[in-house]
Amino acid sequence: MSFDSPFNVTIDFSTSHMIFPTIIAVILGILLITILITRGSTMLATVTNGAWWPAGIDHKRFFGTLALTVVYFLAMPSVGDIFPNTGLGFYLCSIPYLFALSTLFLHERSRRTLSIAAANAIIAPSVVWYILSELFNISLP
Amino acid sequence: MELLSILTPMFFALVAVGTVIGIIFGAIPGMTATMAVAVCLPLTYSLGLENGLALLLGLYVGGISGGLVPAILLNIPGTPSSITTTLDGYPMTQNGEGERALKIGITSSLVGGLISLAALYLFAPALADFAIKFSYIEKFLIIFFALTVMAALSSSLLVGIFSGFLGIFISLIGAYDISRGGNGELRLVPEFLEYYLESGFSLLPVLIGLFGLATILIEAERGMKEGQGLSGVKIGGKPFKISVFKGQIVNLFRSSAIGTFVGILPGVGGSAASILAYSQEKNFSKNPEKFGKGAPEGVIASESANNGLTGGALVPLLSLGIPGDSTTAILIGAFTLQGIQVGPLFIGNNPVTWNAMIIAMLVANIVMFLVMVFAIRHLAKVVTVPKNILFPIILMMCVVGAYTINYGVMFDVWTLLIFGLFGYFAHKVGLEIAPFIIGFILGPSAEIYFVKSLESFGTFSIFFTKSWIAGLLWVLIALSIAFSISVARKKHRIENGSDKP
Repeated sequence: MSFDSPFNVTIDFSTSHMIFPTIIAVILGILLITILITRGSTMLATVTNGAWWPAGIDHKRFFGTLALTVVYFLAMPSVGDIFPNTGLGFYLCSIPYLFALSTLFLHERSRRTLSIAAANAIIAPSVVWYILSELFNISLP
Repeated sequence: MELLSILTPMFFALVAVGTVIGIIFGAIPGMTATMAVAVCLPLTYSLGLENGLALLLGLYVGGISGGLVPAILLNIPGTPSSITTTLDGYPMTQNGEGERALKIGITSSLVGGLISLAALYLFAPALADFAIKFSYIEKFLIIFFALTVMAALSSSLLVGIFSGFLGIFISLIGAYDISRGGNGELRLVPEFLEYYLESGFSLLPVLIGLFGLATILIEAERGMKEGQGLSGVKIGGKPFKISVFKGQIVNLFRSSAIGTFVGILPGVGGSAASILAYSQEKNFSKNPEKFGKGAPEGVIASESANNGLTGGALVPLLSLGIPGDSTTAILIGAFTLQGIQVGPLFIGNNPVTWNAMIIAMLVANIVMFLVMVFAIRHLAKVVTVPKNILFPIILMMCVVGAYTINYGVMFDVWTLLIFGLFGYFAHKVGLEIAPFIIGFILGPSAEIYFVKSLESFGTFSIFFTKSWIAGLLWVLIALSIAFSISVARKKHRIENGSDKP
């Protein structure tokens, strides 16, 4: 993009893909600087007073959810490769994932609540897998 | 007479079945009207054109309407167009007015749907004539207008605009789309992700991540305490009375008309309708400070606008062959399956199909209203399930939605995680998700309209001088910004106690 006068521009097609991203990046930069100028001191105070993330959060449930989700995402395609085009990667990994998450989220672990979690972990993926993969032929991992 | 031969019990049954399945899809967070239509599209192979359309239009109306259930009860928009329903619907639920909020939303949806249907039927050719005159310049200005309007929704104008532009920036990741006139070159993509990000991040996994996974991470951070949030939701409470609409007729009609009009504009569909209607109602309201805290007028504006979209989005589809939103884009697939070309000649050449579609939409709206009003307590049961049971299921469905939208791409599932984390940290640092997502949806269109306008005319001044419509849009943009600033100043003064409301 070249400027002939303040308003007139000539656009080179081969580099036209960078025009809009550059303009948006410049606007973002200006907005960020303005935000820092107007609110910088408040933001700095929040960060330095020590009460900011990850203090005061439920570490076990938050990081547990993240870790289980990452393992679930990694495991699905691997298991799916053993049984290609069956959706079993999704099915077989969802059962332990649902049970582990349900148990992680529980506050009072009793025989009854654990049984409900286990039943849910088996029934929900079975229903979803059957309807989507078997009835509608929708591809699952 | 030919029309009567099409209106069989099967036709009406398919509309009803489609509507009910659509409502369920819309009500399950992470599953949308678009997905419902996409999933059921293969079923229409064997149904014939009119019966197939009956099912799909039912799914469309039901899917858009069902989105209000999780938006109001769970603070998760079931569909992107329910984003603004969460703003007042969820606070109403927290105030023990869940059922009232739902019924206000359902009634507004019906009114919005019927008004837009009337507009579609009566004014389709004229409205299409008007919208088709819009060049890229007017289309860009409309997006720019939407971006300034969405800033009015934010708690801080500056942060709202920043979030919107960040959304645009992230939407530009990938190739400059050749199919829309770009040069196909990649930008903003790290080399090791070039294979995955050629088309950028897919919309649906981004939405599911931001609204599904991020919500669950926030709950997990708080320890998934039962008794708050979901399990504390009381659907009953203050009863719904039709008198809540007293004084809201203008709001209902304006929001439905905004929804219809936005639907007509190709590419400016989806959530822009409800955002625009919501912020207009907020701007015109005598008590804008009530918005976001459980104001019924917010739910009315949002829901009448997003159902107003249904009729509007069909106008460019049926008159020009251009979809008004992502769901109608999939509807093109239904016509193609039957070998029918949608375009300017469609209505004239296929009057029976055209009338059958209008009847299907009318029946779908009525079925939607009846099913949701009388079965809302059953539909809303999803919130009475304990968190430790419901949230893992939602996470699993999020994965299914993300994976299936592009017919089985694992990178979309990772996109879900990336944007889930992004949504979580955005919540932490105070970024606004609604403007972000609007920027993300409208960004690629804004780029094409902007760059192509400059390529054609070679001057920035064309954005001001192209037509009287462009001039009018600039006036609206200036008014929108001025109004947002004045509201922000007023709010600031009230907070400082120097100006009593």
